Amino acid sequence: MENRTPLESFINHKAKTGMQCGNYSIDIPELKEGEQYRFHFDATACVGCHCCEAACNELQNNPADVKWRRVGEMEGGEFPNVLQFFNSMSCNHCIEPECLKGCPTNSYIKFEDSGIVWHDDDSCIGCQYCTWNCPYEVPVMNYDRGIVTKCDMCHDKLAIGETPACVQACPAGAIEIEVVNKEEWIKHNMEKEGVAPHLPDIEITKPTTRYTLPENMPQLSPADERLLKPAHAELPLVFMTILTQVSLGAFLALFLGQVLFSLGFNLPEPSLAMAIIAFIPSAIGLPLSALHLGRPIMAMTAMKNWKTSWLSREAIALGAYTGLATVVAGMYFLEIKGFTLIFVEAITLIIGIFGIYAQSMIYRVKARPAWNRVSTTKRFFGSGYIGFLLISILLLINNGGAGATVLLAVSLLAGMAQVLIVYEEVMFYRHLNKSDPLYYQLNRTRILLKEHFGQIKKFRLYSLIGFALVLPLLGVLFTASGLINLAITTLVISTVGALLSELAGRYLFYRTVVPLGLAGNFFAGNQRG
Amino acid sequence: MLHKIKEFLGVDIKIDKYKKADDIKFGKISKFKIPDEWVRSTCGYCGVGCGLYIGVKNGRPVYTKGDPSHPVSKGTLCPKGLTEHEMVDSNNRVTTPMIRKNGALQAVEWDEAFSYTAKKFQDIQAKYGKGAVACISTGQFLTEDFYTLGKFVQLGLETNNYDGNTTLCMASAVMGYKQSFGSDGPPASYEDFSYADVIMLIGANIADNHPILKLHIARNKKIRGKKPTIIVVDPRHSKTANMADIFVPLAPRSDLALINGLCYIIFEQGWEDEKFIKERTSGALEFKKHIMKNYPPQEVANITGIEVKELYRLAKVYASADRAMSAWTMGVNQSSIGTDTVSAICNLALITGNLGKEGASPFSITGQCNAMGTREFGFTSSIPGYRNYSSKQDREEFANIIGVPIELIPTKRGYAYPEIIEAIDRGEIKALWVTATNPLVSFPDQNRLRSALKKLDILVVQDAFMSETAQEADVIFSAATWSEKEGVYTNSERRCNYAKKAVEPLGKTMSDANIVIEFSKYFEGKYELLFKDFKSSRDIFEEIKLVSKGQLCDYSGMSYEKIEELGGIQWPCNEQYPEGKKRLYTEGFDCPTDDGKAKLLPVDWKPLSESCNPNFPLNLNTGRTVEQWHTRTKTKTISLLNDLAPEAWVELNPKDAKKLKVKSGDRIKIGSSRGSVENLIVKVTEVVREGDCFVPFHFSEQMINNLTIADFDPKSFEPNFKQCAVNIYSDNVPEGIKMEETKIAGELEEQNSAKNSNYIEELSSKKREV
Repeated sequence: MENRTPLESFINHKAKTGMQCGNYSIDIPELKEGEQYRFHFDATACVGCHCCEAACNELQNNPADVKWRRVGEMEGGEFPNVLQFFNSMSCNHCIEPECLKGCPTNSYIKFEDSGIVWHDDDSCIGCQYCTWNCPYEVPVMNYDRGIVTKCDMCHDKLAIGETPACVQACPAGAIEIEVVNKEEWIKHNMEKEGVAPHLPDIEITKPTTRYTLPENMPQLSPADERLLKPAHAELPLVFMTILTQVSLGAFLALFLGQVLFSLGFNLPEPSLAMAIIAFIPSAIGLPLSALHLGRPIMAMTAMKNWKTSWLSREAIALGAYTGLATVVAGMYFLEIKGFTLIFVEAITLIIGIFGIYAQSMIYRVKARPAWNRVSTTKRFFGSGYIGFLLISILLLINNGGAGATVLLAVSLLAGMAQVLIVYEEVMFYRHLNKSDPLYYQLNRTRILLKEHFGQIKKFRLYSLIGFALVLPLLGVLFTASGLINLAITTLVISTVGALLSELAGRYLFYRTVVPLGLAGNFFAGNQRG
Repeated sequence: MLHKIKEFLGVDIKIDKYKKADDIKFGKISKFKIPDEWVRSTCGYCGVGCGLYIGVKNGRPVYTKGDPSHPVSKGTLCPKGLTEHEMVDSNNRVTTPMIRKNGALQAVEWDEAFSYTAKKFQDIQAKYGKGAVACISTGQFLTEDFYTLGKFVQLGLETNNYDGNTTLCMASAVMGYKQSFGSDGPPASYEDFSYADVIMLIGANIADNHPILKLHIARNKKIRGKKPTIIVVDPRHSKTANMADIFVPLAPRSDLALINGLCYIIFEQGWEDEKFIKERTSGALEFKKHIMKNYPPQEVANITGIEVKELYRLAKVYASADRAMSAWTMGVNQSSIGTDTVSAICNLALITGNLGKEGASPFSITGQCNAMGTREFGFTSSIPGYRNYSSKQDREEFANIIGVPIELIPTKRGYAYPEIIEAIDRGEIKALWVTATNPLVSFPDQNRLRSALKKLDILVVQDAFMSETAQEADVIFSAATWSEKEGVYTNSERRCNYAKKAVEPLGKTMSDANIVIEFSKYFEGKYELLFKDFKSSRDIFEEIKLVSKGQLCDYSGMSYEKIEELGGIQWPCNEQYPEGKKRLYTEGFDCPTDDGKAKLLPVDWKPLSESCNPNFPLNLNTGRTVEQWHTRTKTKTISLLNDLAPEAWVELNPKDAKKLKVKSGDRIKIGSSRGSVENLIVKVTEVVREGDCFVPFHFSEQMINNLTIADFDPKSFEPNFKQCAVNIYSDNVPEGIKMEETKIAGELEEQNSAKNSNYIEELSSKKREV
């Protein structure tokens, strides 16, 4: 077919819009020292037509649910004095990007020249930790690829003077590329021009996007205010975290038993069975986490970024812990005892404790207020009481009542601690502070807990009391009364029940988190968490 | 298996599928979709008429990119245009002709479909007369398709019961322009948006429906150095209202009164352009008398709910502007007084001298890609080339040009769209041929329409998609769609754009013109009489040029090549205006009226035929959203669009939501005396006033036209889609919102000083309460 056109190429053609839009080539000043590129979004020009979103997806060939640019919709005022506020946002190419800090595989690079935060697809393992860290929900998992992807400001186009898709597509000229001096921005202008309604605290990542906002804006609420979508269940992680935590609890019991025995207390000596039961949950749980990855085959590379990523630290520490716990089991088998055993166990324990601490710190991110609480760390350690119960059962089976009451008492204390931690959480959501800047997210978590997962939440609370306190207490009673078999049965039920309770609690933990981010669209809501 | 395992393990991250690579024309684009060739064409969705390139890979469309050298869109496209390539291979396409056999549609060969239908048509016409066969066409065809279809229906089937779906969207603008200027034809250009000091958008939600026009408004500041004053007149705070410097939240369907009221103030204050009125208009005296007698500000404030001082401010802003642009779409047209409202807007422009100048015109923005094409050459409400049925000279001229006996040319327009439906219901029309339109979603009062259509002996649907109407058809003619055929579209600003064929028609589909031409061979002598020279779309275009020569919509100076080169040509295009003309009715360009002057017409506001009542105390407004196209035959399979707008919703003011005890996201039932929709999701929002609600009409799953009223403008036959009385029923308040007798009228009047008198009269006797 004949293809007669007046122009061979549109790269050098100017569309006479007087704006950056419409043109396939762009004129921007060269970057000087300390400068970077950034987006400017003119909210007074945007009409909410979604052209930018469509153009971006078309250029990147992204599926409909993988959006590098989204248009958040908000509304405020009272008819007829209404403002429908649209915020078209892609990556803010932050000066202190959280995605980069948290990435275990060093897959994020902030380009030194352009300041563009770029994601290296090849090394990404699809752990999605960046999707938790970014307070704007910018990185998004592409399930077709098994990796996370995000806006790169069309850096490859910009580098040769071509216009990013969103900028080119906007009929209102509301999206532009500008040059910004980073230091000046942080010191003087970010506070005034870097903020927009319903966006997170700029101090988290120091975003570079400049906003032009309408004057006298009313209080705005997001279009998806009533659209509550639970976050992803992350089932492999539910099991992985609980199992490693149980393992650490059991290992602590093992270690304490060994120490007390060595100190000459009249307590039974820990056995090989106990050492095995301590390491098995971790050995099962840890590999499970790979199932959470988009690219399980690359799981080992998660240890790369120990300098800044808690995820890398967790992977290294829990990997080492599981390995050392195996060694400890081997020592019991080979009957290596004395100081050597205690020393190896102590090292294992310290690494394990650090591992669970690191594990909890993965969730202590500013972008996810419901997770970013000390209680998360406490609960992660708290789940270890099940490990105590496990060792108690073995103790009862091996040695009968002798010494078991001591361990059971400790189990009870640990269970009690977990009950208190969970109680604190319940009270926290009951008395949310409306003036808290994170109230919107926390309140949504509360609603999710109450309305979407009310049954599971009830089960979690009652089962915790039943299986962590009541049944172990009965176990003590039966043990003291010499009813060992009954005590064992009770404790087995208690352990299984407590495990279910903890799994339910962890399931809720993942599902009810509400991230910071751009306001959603009435139907599409915001990104998958 | 190995692939599955590899996929699970994440060995392959499909780099190639998501990579960019260099394209010769557009630079770095998705490598996966780099086409074998780019075909310059025009978008086939709405009346804006954006220029685009279709990327063709392996013979199918894979990409659409905005054409930066096109004067309309300058490189931009809306979300529908950007994803238009996906529409062509949608699994909703009809790829073969079909006939209903034993209750089910079955694929047949073209010959069977044509001979079966021709026989049916002939039998019916023999038994019941020629007029027993009717045709409803569209605004989606190419002009060549329209011309061919019109010629065949009027001169081949010899029935004048033929109308376009444009009656549902643009007819009021057509009739209004005819009343005021002597002919249809929008006088303005999009670039006027870039030069106007004041832009008044009346019942036009361009942010949702014509977002690319925002480009021209955005350029205004760049060109003039300051922002234009934008006035948005709409009972609903649409997305477009956010652009407004002055938002005029008038009471539903009070637009005509508002405009007349502004004319009053302008006359009263002496702000009119006397010179212009004297030289360029007729009927000024009578008009002024009518206005001054009937539309004093207080009266208008009562009707519109807009305070008197606000009316004065508006009048002043509009009248004092050097260049005032007024543009409207469906809010004005889809009204039982639509035609007169259009004339009222023209009146206002005329008395202030805002006609035929850069940045100053009354401008109707069209809905469909080629609503204009059917107006010019569709042979429905006029003889091709804006000729009148009643004029013997026009009939003769047309008959001579195309070489048919003059007796064949109808002497009057047949039934309009709603009249055709009524005639079917009466049993007068037995066969209906529907082309590229979907009445079973788009027509008001669906239940009545459905029962009428059941009375047909045969329903033939010619469409590229399996529309709701096609699903009910006895015969389907499978048509080619955008990108699969060649021809021209005319946009709102009279710009004739070239839509180039990029790919071969899918399966057993043919261009609409070809379907008609082939079909004509089954009617004795008709092909030879009408189409023997139509070998290609160019031949049809040549005949259109001949037919248009010397008329207002003059195409005689155009050619496909010239249109493509210039990025469209605004008619008239002839020896005098070889590259077309940006504006009509400029100095020295007379109106096609008897005296060459524009008419100032005394027109009147009338109250709604169905106002809110105790059973149905809410007013229902219907409209569109940017993500979807009309009845979704084209957009329902495009994932990006459906991700953003997957279903219909009802916008409800918080006060009404409170009465119904519903929150955003809850589901309700909405009903009128005609029908209802269940399971409709609620969006509680301040963009609608208390007592109003809004539902988009696109979705057959939530068919809001079950509720709308079959109330038509007597001049244009356009339905009043924007107002009807409804109620909403929630789980918590299943009996719906109730109106109650109120005790003290005076107190209420105080509260509602900003509401119109009609409203107040009603409210003073009944108050809305749960």
